Amino acid sequence: MSAFKTTLTGYARYRGREGQISFLLHRITGLGVLLFLTIHILDTATVYFFPSLYAHAIDIYRTTLFGVGEMGLIFCVIFHGVNGLRIAFADWFPNMKLWRITTERKSVLFTLAISVVLWLPTVGVMGFNILKHNYGLFGG
Amino acid sequence: MKITLKIYRYNTEDGKPPHYDTFVVPDAEENDLVLDLLECVRGYQDGTLSFRRSCAHGICGSDAMRINGRNYLACKVLVKDLGTDQITIEPILGLPVLKDLIVDMNPFYEHYRSVLPFFMCPDDPVADGKERIQTPEERERYDDTTKCILCACCTTSCPSFWADGRYVGPAAIVNAHRFIFDNRDCGAEDRLNILNEQMGVWRCRTAFNCTEACPRDINITKAIADVKKAITTGKIE
Repeated sequence: MSAFKTTLTGYARYRGREGQISFLLHRITGLGVLLFLTIHILDTATVYFFPSLYAHAIDIYRTTLFGVGEMGLIFCVIFHGVNGLRIAFADWFPNMKLWRITTERKSVLFTLAISVVLWLPTVGVMGFNILKHNYGLFGG
Repeated sequence: MKITLKIYRYNTEDGKPPHYDTFVVPDAEENDLVLDLLECVRGYQDGTLSFRRSCAHGICGSDAMRINGRNYLACKVLVKDLGTDQITIEPILGLPVLKDLIVDMNPFYEHYRSVLPFFMCPDDPVADGKERIQTPEERERYDDTTKCILCACCTTSCPSFWADGRYVGPAAIVNAHRFIFDNRDCGAEDRLNILNEQMGVWRCRTAFNCTEACPRDINITKAIADVKKAITTGKIE
């Protein structure tokens, strides 16, 4: 079995617990941010190479689909950052209780909860703007 | 109780692609080991089924396999621990399958050998010429990592090892830890240099799969963190 196939098999079928879920979410959110950065570089590049397309690119950003995608992007950034801090903090203090398996499981769930709490206000603000500007609600 | 076993089958000699065979063990008990079920299948239903086993008491580490998607020793997991009568058994991931549930352990042992897992202090004669005195506290520092039985449950549950088999893996790091933090040993610097290389400890992504999988309850991820910190600070505390 190739390493790529082994990796996909492991990601999809190995029944790891909170640690593996956290690892996978960290990867997925990292790739999500990378995807957005790539798109963002491309659309910004249109200013220089195809100026007539730039306004069109900005219009695409204002669509509901992109708006919802940006909410996902914010979650990716927040979770990736908070989880990265958790891992870095734990790495620097290997003698802490954080390294016990039961504590580690709780710390993953705690990280997820913090990320969601930090993310919800963004969802509120961005969701409000989408409803206002794209659907004419709230006096839009 | 009736248990249905779905077992991964692969034989390089019969030319068939890997597949799963289903066996029913009609009179299993909830306190039966998964290893007992495999022996029942091999003894009464299909003598060609291949798997490793030796002591059957969780000491030799021969029968590591993926049971319902998670690494276990088949001789340490009871039917009731799994909470289901449908059991899927597959070989551990990341090592080449030789036949059915048997994998080639050589790459794993090569990684183990690469960290110099033996006592090194040749030029330091003991004061009384008899023994190297060590306090209980000094012994306690690496007590956890002395328990490793080299079953490969940890290494083959590691996402970094799945992605790149050149990664030295948790088991090798655990065995390096056992000597690095032994104050009677003089080879810590050599081992830390080996583990500081590209395929050393920095491949660890702190997923904790190794700790979850270890049948000896070694806190492997913490041991890896100990080694990372020793490399970073240059101090063995």
